[in-house]
Amino acid sequence: MPSPPLQLASGLDHEFVDNVLGKQQGRPGALLAILQQVQNHHPRKYLPLETLEYIGARTRIPLARIYSVATFFALFNLEPQGRNTISVCRGTACHTRGSRDLFVKLLMYYGFRTEGDAETDQLVVTTADGNMTLRTVACFGQCALAPVIEVNHAIFGHMNEPTLQRELDALAQQEPRI
Amino acid sequence: MSQQISVRIDNELYTATEGRTILQVAADNGRSIPTLCYLEGLSAPGSCRLCLVEVAGVGRLLPACTTPARSGMSVTTNSDALAHNRLMALELLFIERNHVCSVCVSNGHCELQSMAQRLGMTHVHLPYNFPRLPVDVSHPRFVLDHNRCILCSRCVRVCDEIEGAQVWDISARGINSMLVAELDRPWGEAQSCTSCGKCVQVCPTGALVEKGQAVEEMTKRNRIVTDLAVKRGART
Repeated sequence: MPSPPLQLASGLDHEFVDNVLGKQQGRPGALLAILQQVQNHHPRKYLPLETLEYIGARTRIPLARIYSVATFFALFNLEPQGRNTISVCRGTACHTRGSRDLFVKLLMYYGFRTEGDAETDQLVVTTADGNMTLRTVACFGQCALAPVIEVNHAIFGHMNEPTLQRELDALAQQEPRI
Repeated sequence: MSQQISVRIDNELYTATEGRTILQVAADNGRSIPTLCYLEGLSAPGSCRLCLVEVAGVGRLLPACTTPARSGMSVTTNSDALAHNRLMALELLFIERNHVCSVCVSNGHCELQSMAQRLGMTHVHLPYNFPRLPVDVSHPRFVLDHNRCILCSRCVRVCDEIEGAQVWDISARGINSMLVAELDRPWGEAQSCTSCGKCVQVCPTGALVEKGQAVEEMTKRNRIVTDLAVKRGART
């Protein structure tokens, strides 16, 4: 199979991608596993377009199909992710317990515009310095703990503004985190 | 040798070959069921939900384009409930994007418009979305206007199944779904596009059209795709 001289975006090595492709090639549903492993390997946890193009060229999967899969699943990111991630649950239970106000507070704290954005179903924003990614999640499945916020994969239930502020302060203490 | 079965459609008894869908059996016998995403010669995704029919003994509505006819099946293709359902599905297509017939190149030759007339749609019951959507004129011969796209995926399927170029797919989910060429590239920059124009001919609306057409001038010839598929022995 021809291997076109494609430039991979910085932070992603050819060898790793080739390795993953070799292991997954021919398996049904291989694309999902490929995308997942390649994304996890990237230090900024995302799939650069150049990488998708490379995967397409090597696997002969149409680029449109790869793009379709990568945009269908919320798991995949096409933008570089921040070093820290805060996810706010926007499910019904959390919404009725005020998750939107918490999300707006977060957006304001990190200097994002809040009008319109907070209404969007699904939102992922990353600060310009690449430190923080804020995202909404459809439901954590922890509705009894509403409102739920996830800070770097740790789940916090019954969240309110003072507790959230405490977590934000704690995060600020740790910086700069790699 | 495929078996002959008998199917009852709207209280008429028909003989059909096993494996044919309800839609095909109906069409073979001169009965037309409303469809938008279905095109003879292409695979059926069953996504527009206009061809929903009632099957006796089944508690839910089934899409005629993907449901194989079975021996002894009794199908109803027209009822008040079905008409209501179809109208609702059609109205939702109209409110989702910006369908303005008076300024559309496909005015008068549009399957969406004809369907609205056929089903007697006079107005919509929900507010229009009015999304801001781009128009892609990067291709030298064709135009993609997302405002008029109903995401029927005929272009995706014809490009994959007949042309084999696999330029198109649908990105994202739900209300955010968009037709994309390759990695969301401008169509004109898509390396895999052969500029065959099959997607343009099968598009039911004015979303994919030839350049240089004014209002009401764009007529589609989706029959050439069906004929091609039949010649190649595609299942019809």
